[in-house]
Amino acid sequence: MAPIDHFLYLSAFLFSAGIVVVIVKRNAIMVLLGIELMLNAANLNLVAFNILQPGLFTGHMFALFVIVVAVCEAAVGLAIVLRVYQHYQTSIPDEIQDLKE
Amino acid sequence: MLMVFLLPLVSCVISFLLTDRYAWVITLTAPLLQLISMIGALIVFFSLSAEPYTLALPWFHIGEFIFSANLQINAVSAIMLVVVTVVSFLVHVYSTGYMAGDENNRRYFAMLGFFTFSMLGIVLADNLLLIFVFWELVGFSSYMLIGHWNQKPAAVNAARKAFIFNRIGDAGFLIGLMIIWANAGTFELRNLLLQTEVFSWQTSATLCIFCGVIGKSAQFPLFTWLPDAMEGPTPVSALIHAATMVAAGVFLLSRIFALYTPEALDVVALIGIITAVLSALSALVQTDIKKILAYSTISQLGLMVTAIGAGAADAAMLHLFTHAFFKACLFLSAGAVIHVLHQAQQQTHTHFDVQDIRNLGGLRKKLPATFFAFALSGSALAGIPFFSGFVSKDAIFTGLWNWATMGTSWRWIVVVSAFLVSFITVLYTFRLVWFMFMGEEKSTQALDVTEAPLVMRLPIIILAVASLWFIITINPVDFNGWLFQILHPGKYFHFNLMAAVSASWVLLALGTAHRMYRTGKNFNVKIFQRAFYLDFIYQLLFEKPVLALASFTDRIDRHWIDGVLHSGVYAQVTLAHIIGWFDKWIIDGSVNAVAATSNGLGSFTRSFQGGKIQLYIFWSIFGLIIFLIWMLL
Repeated sequence: MAPIDHFLYLSAFLFSAGIVVVIVKRNAIMVLLGIELMLNAANLNLVAFNILQPGLFTGHMFALFVIVVAVCEAAVGLAIVLRVYQHYQTSIPDEIQDLKE
Repeated sequence: MLMVFLLPLVSCVISFLLTDRYAWVITLTAPLLQLISMIGALIVFFSLSAEPYTLALPWFHIGEFIFSANLQINAVSAIMLVVVTVVSFLVHVYSTGYMAGDENNRRYFAMLGFFTFSMLGIVLADNLLLIFVFWELVGFSSYMLIGHWNQKPAAVNAARKAFIFNRIGDAGFLIGLMIIWANAGTFELRNLLLQTEVFSWQTSATLCIFCGVIGKSAQFPLFTWLPDAMEGPTPVSALIHAATMVAAGVFLLSRIFALYTPEALDVVALIGIITAVLSALSALVQTDIKKILAYSTISQLGLMVTAIGAGAADAAMLHLFTHAFFKACLFLSAGAVIHVLHQAQQQTHTHFDVQDIRNLGGLRKKLPATFFAFALSGSALAGIPFFSGFVSKDAIFTGLWNWATMGTSWRWIVVVSAFLVSFITVLYTFRLVWFMFMGEEKSTQALDVTEAPLVMRLPIIILAVASLWFIITINPVDFNGWLFQILHPGKYFHFNLMAAVSASWVLLALGTAHRMYRTGKNFNVKIFQRAFYLDFIYQLLFEKPVLALASFTDRIDRHWIDGVLHSGVYAQVTLAHIIGWFDKWIIDGSVNAVAATSNGLGSFTRSFQGGKIQLYIFWSIFGLIIFLIWMLL
């Protein structure tokens, strides 16, 4: 059994990569991708911490919930991006400035 | 009585209010209102009782001093009332003919009504202050009427001159009023005339008031405005500058006669006789009809003032009464001559000065009615027996004689001078009549002259008849008739010798005049012609120094005062520049700095909220990391 630290390192790396993707990428789809990465990092953490209480599956259950919610979120997010793209002919948030002062 | 007083004012107001379109209405209303006023005055005159009638009108009060605007009618003012209203009415009627076609008719009749109103105010007022107010008002309306033809520069200058000369006299009047107020404490003539003890400064006060009289009644040395005032319309000259306004001074003197101390009266008599002699001599050589009449008016006024100075105020009033009628008649007939000649000139397009007697002559055939009136009133002026002028002059001579026998020897000089004046009066009157109506026609030969219209002829005839003896006395050689009885109840000193001397004196003068002027020769003496260079002297004494002073002060003004002002201005401009710099860089700078700071701060904080979601996320995570580091360490 590998120590819990390795999982946490991986999860931290994934989370950081997600944040970097969210911040750096210009395209909304890539941003959503970054968010998925961050969610998966969280899932990894949940499952990893479940090691500390054997016999219970709370962490796994929670991870499953998160995956379901992530799917929903991805669906809704992609739908919005699609609509935005249809309307503005672009999916880059920086170029959508109708609400700006 | 109030009606008599106020109707001319009503006429004035109507004339002012009517528009030019209805200007013809004024020529009806103005004489009509004057007629009613005249009838009222006659009623007042004939119902006159021995006791003065007073109409008490409270005016205003300062503290405990109550000023009243009382109106009073006594014998003197009743006679004056009749003179003013009758002459004013006749002049109004005459003016409807004389001023026909004048575009400023409304203003003319308005001022004529206003003048009559103010003149009646002087006559009726029982308060020196009120008299002064109306005194100024007649001066004002005289100014307006002299300058009625304001397109003529001469008329405007004459109006200004009359106004200024009157103002000089009125300054004296005002000072006199102050002295009276300070020493007697009242302006009420009733109280002033009744008090018996002499208040201090009384001589000075009365002499100061006499200054006002000198101005208004054109006495020496302020008489030169009156001949110039002849630039005004002739009816105005008749009403204001012969019959009424200039007589206001004489009236005022006789009204406050009781206030005059013997010393003051001597001065009055001297001034009067100097005026009479100087202006009679000037009248002798003038060539303008109206100027001759003007100088003769001054001379007659001088005689009246002399009579007052000699204590014969009632004789002066008698002469004022007769003089008003015959002098108004003379002026109006002269005006008629000028009027018809002007019209004839316009028809034939010839030009010569119709007022110059050297151009006239032989008009008796063409203008019989005017000649008749002129001759009658001229005889009255000359003092020929059976005319009113003879009677009133007789009264004056008797008064002077009385006065001279009671006093020192210099008074005889005055008496002799008065006789001399009456002699000269005959000379210039004869000259005037002779040059205008007798002899051969000169420049008027080619003109088609017709008599003036009826509205002008009628007043002249009425006034001419009024210059006969019977309007003042039944007996033509005794001035002590019914009118004089009103002025001076009781038997008056009179001796027939005086009348005889006077009559023969006048006849002698008439003979001399005939010899002198029969040939139509014109004598000219330069010093008389220029009225003893009085205007020139004024110019030398006042105008030149005043102008010199003015240019001197002007130079001081330019060099010194302007210099100081300019350096002050430069200093201010420099200071302003400094302040401007300070304002721009320090005050505005600090404000701008604050603004720029907040602007920079704003744009800095704004940059966090540029609408870029990723930036928001970046900053929130950045903040979170900072927070975590701070928490953990």
